[in-house]
Amino acid sequence: MSASGLVRPASAPASARITWTEAIRHEPRLLIAAVLLVVLGGLMLPPMWMLAQDAFTTTNAAGDITGWTLDHFAKLTRNDRALVSSWNSAVFAAGSTVLSLLLGGVLAWLVERTNAPFKILAYLATIISMGTPYILHVIAWLFLLGRVGPINEAWHWYTGAPDNLLNVNTMWGMILIEGFLWSPLVFLLLGATFRAANADMEEAARMSGATVFDTLRRISLPLAMPAILALAMFVFIRAIGGFEVPALVGMPSRIYVLTTDVYRAIVSHPPDLGYAAAFSVVMVLIVAVLLYFYSRLSRHAERYHSVTGKGYRPRPFDLGRGRWVAGAIIIGNFMIVLVLPLLTLLWMSLLPFLRGFSPDAFALLTLKNFRTVLTTPGYLDLALNSIGVAAGAASVIMLITAFAGWIAARRGPAGRVLDQLATISLVFPGICLGVAVMEVYLRVPLPIYGSLWIITIAYVIRYMPYGMRYVFSGVLQLHKELEESAGVSGASVLTIARRIVAPLLTPALVAGWLFIFLIANKELAIAVLLASPGSQVIAVSIFDQFVNGQGGELAAFGLIWTVLMTAIACLFFWQARRGGSDVFGN
Amino acid sequence: MLTVRDLTKIYANRYDTQAGGVRGVSFDLPTGTFFTLLGPSGCGKTTTLRCIAGLERPDSGYIGVGDRALFDGARGEAVPMNQRGIGMVFQSYAIWPHMTVFENIAFPLRVAKQRKYAREEIASLVEQALSTVGLSGYGERPATRLSGGQQQRVALARAIVHRPQLLLLDEPLSNLDASLREEMRAELRRLQQQIGVTTVYVTHDQSEALAMSDQIAVMDRSRVVQLGAPRDIYFRPASAFVASFIGGANLLDGTAEAAVAPGQTGVLRLSGGQRLLCLFPEGATAGAALSVAIRPESIAVGAGAADGDNTLRGTITAASFLGGNARYDITVGDIALRAVGPAETMLDTGADVALAIPPQSAVVVRPTEA
Repeated sequence: MSASGLVRPASAPASARITWTEAIRHEPRLLIAAVLLVVLGGLMLPPMWMLAQDAFTTTNAAGDITGWTLDHFAKLTRNDRALVSSWNSAVFAAGSTVLSLLLGGVLAWLVERTNAPFKILAYLATIISMGTPYILHVIAWLFLLGRVGPINEAWHWYTGAPDNLLNVNTMWGMILIEGFLWSPLVFLLLGATFRAANADMEEAARMSGATVFDTLRRISLPLAMPAILALAMFVFIRAIGGFEVPALVGMPSRIYVLTTDVYRAIVSHPPDLGYAAAFSVVMVLIVAVLLYFYSRLSRHAERYHSVTGKGYRPRPFDLGRGRWVAGAIIIGNFMIVLVLPLLTLLWMSLLPFLRGFSPDAFALLTLKNFRTVLTTPGYLDLALNSIGVAAGAASVIMLITAFAGWIAARRGPAGRVLDQLATISLVFPGICLGVAVMEVYLRVPLPIYGSLWIITIAYVIRYMPYGMRYVFSGVLQLHKELEESAGVSGASVLTIARRIVAPLLTPALVAGWLFIFLIANKELAIAVLLASPGSQVIAVSIFDQFVNGQGGELAAFGLIWTVLMTAIACLFFWQARRGGSDVFGN
Repeated sequence: MLTVRDLTKIYANRYDTQAGGVRGVSFDLPTGTFFTLLGPSGCGKTTTLRCIAGLERPDSGYIGVGDRALFDGARGEAVPMNQRGIGMVFQSYAIWPHMTVFENIAFPLRVAKQRKYAREEIASLVEQALSTVGLSGYGERPATRLSGGQQQRVALARAIVHRPQLLLLDEPLSNLDASLREEMRAELRRLQQQIGVTTVYVTHDQSEALAMSDQIAVMDRSRVVQLGAPRDIYFRPASAFVASFIGGANLLDGTAEAAVAPGQTGVLRLSGGQRLLCLFPEGATAGAALSVAIRPESIAVGAGAADGDNTLRGTITAASFLGGNARYDITVGDIALRAVGPAETMLDTGADVALAIPPQSAVVVRPTEA
């Protein structure tokens, strides 16, 4: 012991032989962290392990592992099937990224930074699209651009030729529809970027003599560029993992991308699990690399936010007479993203069988489909199933991430590990996660395969990262001194969590819950391999019905469902705005 | 040079009618004036500045530089902000992070529509601006690698590089730390005099305003309440608000004993009954209810009960040692006063004191509006 120190902590010698109970007494979060590590590890790791194992092993007919192999990967390279679908995926994802950035980006700038009219329509379209399952949009667009759709019908009538003007079941059709699907999200996220941008930067340019166009070109765009690139990367990753459009638009004309190729391998007879798993591993690696670049890009994007000014009311650009052009763009987007698809669904739901727009078809209009949907118990069960599964998954996620996110954001014990565990499933495209979860729970001796439980578990794994991000940023918004002052006042860690953190974090928790609830009911890819006839959820059921040609009923049901989900989406936006939290990408 | 007449800009507000903005602001500045808009937050000073800049469109009024109207509410004319030829420094500096220092400063020249600048001309003008603000050789530096003071200088260089007739400064010193602020205050004033550009400066810091300005407009609740040179504003405040906002004067209520002609001294009977000889800049009728503003440093605090002209008696309730001087809280009857005295001969709490007040330093003002 040195004698030089005048002030020495009295407990220093005792800390040399610290016991577990003492450690927990000093840092009660250790106990919470340990529980979370077990729970998160048990949820998130087995699917990864199973995928790797399937990809590198051979099995006999009974499913037992018989040896290690690289055959599955060799098979990927043997024919050009894998190469073609990879190339298709790249083209599809790149094309739809560019399109959605153009549509959503222009809209976001017009709405947030100019005095264009009809801004409310852009928000309206975003809210409603938040509540509509992707697959309904896809179905509507397939009809609109399809053989009996109004565009081709008009072409037939005008030219008298039997040929179609458009063939939607092509790569162009896929890119177009996927681009439409993602533009509301781009609008939302880029809108936040434009809103958060320091208006002083633009005003300084205008004061320096620059015109609106010069300011946009030399200041606004370069400043937003890192954020735009990061968002492009994000949409690209999501489009790589997208399933609805490739399945419904591409598969009928044998255009396969990575996700539909995996799907094909699983639903073929006999299922080629090794191929699907090997392909999934490749996809996961691609996505992991892309995510790495994405996180670097978004960090770069934040660097430009370092110079900020006082919060003066942002002054939108005056477009002069150009604002009516801008208004027309906003209305056009509103038509594309919302009105046309919904009108199409309405048309489909009011007809006894699918046919194009024509005067004589109006005589056939009937409410029969709506009557069937409302009186058939199967539809009610389906709705309740979907709501139950989504609500259950959202609740479990928010419960886990409330603690995990708090510990991670406050750099508590094992905070980094918890964060990584909770967000690891970001690398899984939905279809790959479906494969992995299916595999895990086929082998686990729990009777949940083929039940709603397995879908719930898959949702929990899939959407855990979103819950984590909501809580994490929610905690970062709380000043740390709020907790410290409670601690100094004599509150224990649990009391701080209960009396200080939980109440202040409630808006973020509620927003996260609603977001997960909505997105879980929107996506098809995970559940499509896990649902069975006795345990259906909305998106899968619509997919099956569409494949079976029951267009009318599914449109009627889809519309009713959309109204319900839109109400919840309104709640979400209201809550997100109130809590001041950002709206994260889905 | 700069003319502002009846400028009005009212913000709609859901909650009340007093929602900020500006009402009927007028002033007229000769070329080269350093003019300061001074007031508490929300008084309308920044709105006035932004209206001049063209960042806000006023509801009515007139803004002109020389013979050229920038805004004329009567004729519905408004010159777009990028054609006003004004230099402006923002509170946040608004240095574009994706450009070098050189590019930031060269920007106004590059986007100029009236004339094209040749490459060499831009280089020399930017170099000139850089050396004016003392940043020669910083041109190639990325804008993200500048200290607060350097950012401020770059912002200033950018605002003056195209030789504007008018320079607008929106609280440019508020983001700097105290020592740097003092340095930049002197620097800004020196630069302004060197260039000779008419300058409108917005601040809520009275010492900045007093130190730098030729003219000050004190604003309160959307209106200009006093306009004048720093010494006038300080020594002859026009209202109780100006007296207390600038220099923290003591305000005592009282009534005039007899009619007083404007600019003469007269007796004010304080609410506690004491009689005090005061200066009445605006005169008064007998019995008028008024306030008197007395600066803490104008009060001579003496120990004991020495009687003299215009002396009040009081007791020290709190004495603070501030290093350079000593500050006292004193009660005179039921009036609370604040005074400042020399630190070397500091008096103790509880001491009875005599407060000598020169009549010229007891300025009668309109009382605070209820």
